[in-house]
Amino acid sequence: MAAQIEWVTSMDEALKRAVAERKPILLDFFNPG
Amino acid sequence: MGAVTYPDPKVIAFITDHMIPLQVPSDHKPLSSEFAVKWTPTLVTLDLEGNEHYRTVGFLPPEELIPSLVLGIGIMHFERGEFDQAIAAFDRLLKEHSKSDQAAQGIFFRGVALYKSRKDPKPLREAYDRLSAEYPGSPWTRRAYPYRLIN
Repeated sequence: MAAQIEWVTSMDEALKRAVAERKPILLDFFNPG
Repeated sequence: MGAVTYPDPKVIAFITDHMIPLQVPSDHKPLSSEFAVKWTPTLVTLDLEGNEHYRTVGFLPPEELIPSLVLGIGIMHFERGEFDQAIAAFDRLLKEHSKSDQAAQGIFFRGVALYKSRKDPKPLREAYDRLSAEYPGSPWTRRAYPYRLIN
């Protein structure tokens, strides 16, 4: 199991992976501080 | 979320297995404007084409994040007309997270998804009966109130 969540930071990359892996995207907007 | 919820092993496993995790700051251009983000954390469930189907605003502990994500996946499939997959997600929500804040909404949409896939109104009545018995104070029980008239 992964030791942490492996976040991607690009919508383009997320969409490519979503199609390739047939998974929905979890988009998290966080407070940059 | 980053300090408490995301390091949780069950959260890591669920997100890794079932979703593509995309994280951006709330001032990201252009995504912040495109998704009209006004507060953090904002979590959005998107389909494979990037269309939004479900969102939450505010902190969620691990025991609420996972059922929230399961519900979001179910609603995504429901809105795409993928009723068998939607029903499977709602069944998982109700089996594994029946005590969660999202369970009542899952019962509601499970009934609607069954109705739309089978063209049979009986699941709507069953959803109301279950909601009124198990979640009498839920807003989703009130939304299902008309279904009590179905025989």
